[in-house]
Amino acid sequence: MTQPLGASSLTTSPQPPALRGPSARRPRRRRPVLVALALLVLGIAFGAAAFGSLIFPDAMTQDILASQLPPGSPGHPLGTDELGRDVLQMSVAGARSALLGPVIVALGSMACGVVLGTLAGYQRGWIDFAVSRWTDLLLALPVLLAAIVVSGVFGGGYWVTVVLLIVLFSPSDIRIVRAGVLEQSARPYIEAAQMLSLSRWRVMFRHILPNVTSLVVTNAMLNVAFALVAFSSLSFLGVGVSPGIADWGRQLTDGRAIMFVNPAAVFMPALLIVVVAVAANLVGDWIGQRLSRVGEDVR
Amino acid sequence: MTVRISELSVVGPAGVMVEPLSATVEPGATLALIGESGSGKTLTAKSLVGLLPRGFTATGAAEVGGVALPLAGGESAWRAIRGRTASLLLQDPFTSLSPVHRCGDQIAWTVEAATGSRLARSERDAVVEARLAEVKLPARAARAYPHQLSGGMRQRVAIAAALASDPQLLIADEPTTALDASNQAEILDLLRAVQVERRLSVILISHDLGVVRGRTDQVLVMREGHVVERGETASVLAAPSHPYTGALIEADPVVAAQSGTRLSPAQPVEGELVVRVMGLEKSFGTHRVLDDVSLDVSRGEILGIVGESGSGKSTLARCVAGLEHEDGGTISIDGVALAPGRASRTPDQMQIVFQDPYSSLNPMMSVGAILAEALRVAGRDASEVDGLLETVGLPAQFVRKRPAQLSGGQRQRVAIARALAPRPRLLICDESVSALDVSVQADILRLLAGLRDELGIAVMFISHDLAVVRMIADSVVVMWNGRVVERGECRDVLTAPTHEYTRLLVAAALRENTAPQIGRE
Repeated sequence: MTQPLGASSLTTSPQPPALRGPSARRPRRRRPVLVALALLVLGIAFGAAAFGSLIFPDAMTQDILASQLPPGSPGHPLGTDELGRDVLQMSVAGARSALLGPVIVALGSMACGVVLGTLAGYQRGWIDFAVSRWTDLLLALPVLLAAIVVSGVFGGGYWVTVVLLIVLFSPSDIRIVRAGVLEQSARPYIEAAQMLSLSRWRVMFRHILPNVTSLVVTNAMLNVAFALVAFSSLSFLGVGVSPGIADWGRQLTDGRAIMFVNPAAVFMPALLIVVVAVAANLVGDWIGQRLSRVGEDVR
Repeated sequence: MTVRISELSVVGPAGVMVEPLSATVEPGATLALIGESGSGKTLTAKSLVGLLPRGFTATGAAEVGGVALPLAGGESAWRAIRGRTASLLLQDPFTSLSPVHRCGDQIAWTVEAATGSRLARSERDAVVEARLAEVKLPARAARAYPHQLSGGMRQRVAIAAALASDPQLLIADEPTTALDASNQAEILDLLRAVQVERRLSVILISHDLGVVRGRTDQVLVMREGHVVERGETASVLAAPSHPYTGALIEADPVVAAQSGTRLSPAQPVEGELVVRVMGLEKSFGTHRVLDDVSLDVSRGEILGIVGESGSGKSTLARCVAGLEHEDGGTISIDGVALAPGRASRTPDQMQIVFQDPYSSLNPMMSVGAILAEALRVAGRDASEVDGLLETVGLPAQFVRKRPAQLSGGQRQRVAIARALAPRPRLLICDESVSALDVSVQADILRLLAGLRDELGIAVMFISHDLAVVRMIADSVVVMWNGRVVERGECRDVLTAPTHEYTRLLVAAALRENTAPQIGRE
């Protein structure tokens, strides 16, 4: 007897076997230890972004053209890069440009998504049509390729990249918010709000939006992770951060040349990008689960 | 083949959910488990098929036809025994069948699972056809997907699937609650007939005494995990010894319908006219939902609107409320004709109380915020929230609670308070008590009747159940296929229905028993 058949005999509802069994019935829960660790990582990273310049004020201007030292050298626990700058100091100083951009991108595309997504989902009609076709168009563009082309035309630079990524990241936010708003709009509590003749703005932003917050916030955290990787990729390709600014992506490019002299010059920024991106993902999931539980029905 | 349950109890994360209970069900006999939500009746049923939610454990012993059930056992212990001993029939035929598989396949799988061998293709069609015939469905139902069948037919398929493993015990958990009144009787009669045929033991779980009356032999009344009363169904219903059973019987609309008890005295219609609906028309595509519907509601009158799902009664309510745009006809309030849609209406003209108390309150807003918003709309001060809560019989500390922390009845009270906040001239109750337990339902009906007496508002009370409507309505309108087929004083319509469809509704309301008695067939 196979599993699905065995399962179907117990009730009148033969369901796909994947939904059955003891392991499937357990709600997916993130272990608190992992979340605590991820929060710690994010805390340190954002601390470094905020106060890094106070701890190591001269990360970029030190020892220019001194020798290239391997990890474990006296005074330089992670060694120095090809220009003789301390890798540890560079990594701390690089946190600011590596994190500031992604956070602005996530917030910016979240704002776009909330406004356009809510309008499209609640008002429907031509607004919905225009917004939906616009997102279709943007989703058809490969993010990195588009960023490289536009940076090439406009001469690149940090803030051009920020604006560009906001535009390119916004479709996912718009779609997610629109779907959430569509789902909520059909609920009786929205009709009850209409019975009170509340303005459409109040219905949209006071009644519907709080019910899609968990989606919005979770997606914003995921966007921080994606944008972090995108930024670093662009800097690595030389179209993001201009030379002379400490940044994890740039460190990757610069460190390649002396990879065999000082591997830490490449692996340290790479590790930081991965760890911070994973931590942002975990925290995003956790926040999403917490928020969605606030208004949860206890039937 | 007797089913014996001894000292069965269920322990959950929050403590003991079901206190030890014992029962015996003879072959061919039916045991009814009665109680409101949270009384532990569903947990008891689930423990007998090993489907308790995570964190719940069952203790005690149970045997079906001499085979002991592995109450504390794991999934593998249950898999060997479940289905062939006990089978579970669930409430909602809309979700208990897989939407992507044909009904015949779903029955065949259960047969294969129970016998442990695959059926040959030719054999399989014959087996499925026989199973469908048992529940009075034509063979072509095997080819249909669940969404192609009506609610009543779906529940028949579900019964066929539940019986496909040839169990000795069938546990039916609120098998008819999701169905229309006319379907309910058919399904219950079918279950009874099958039971007699197979000498099947049945445990029937319900909050509705109408279901239990005349169709079960023994009854257990449960409350908060305790069995408060047990005995022969007829004698318990005739002379309940526990006050809770008495209250349940009193709250039952069917009992009230049979005895003629009302929650509020019928009042002659003499107030000024509030709402006049004239020749209302509405179509969805080519389907005509409302066809020349006219009615009046006066101040202080409760007008009942009765009909089955699809009769157009909800669309009528939504047109009056402005949530739906009518195609033709006029709706006027206080003599002023209103254009279709919400834009022409103000909150103090009419408010709706919806059916589902779980989705009609914003889950992210506290009760206080919900009511304060409704008060502000009418220019009233948010400090009146406490008074409003008192009007609907809720304590002031509910202000801080969120809807998820409230029971269904409490939520419906909040929804009523919200509807009353703008001091509407007309209150529309669209199946407002249908999702509630019988005892809670009576409380809400009493509240509505009291509000009418106190505030003198006009009420349109919409329901599929004539028994419920006649408990509070002064006059009644019967709708069928988008038309008004009968109207008049509530008592007249109930005692002397003129239209054929009304006669059906009255029979359903009184739950007239057409089931074969044991041994008669």
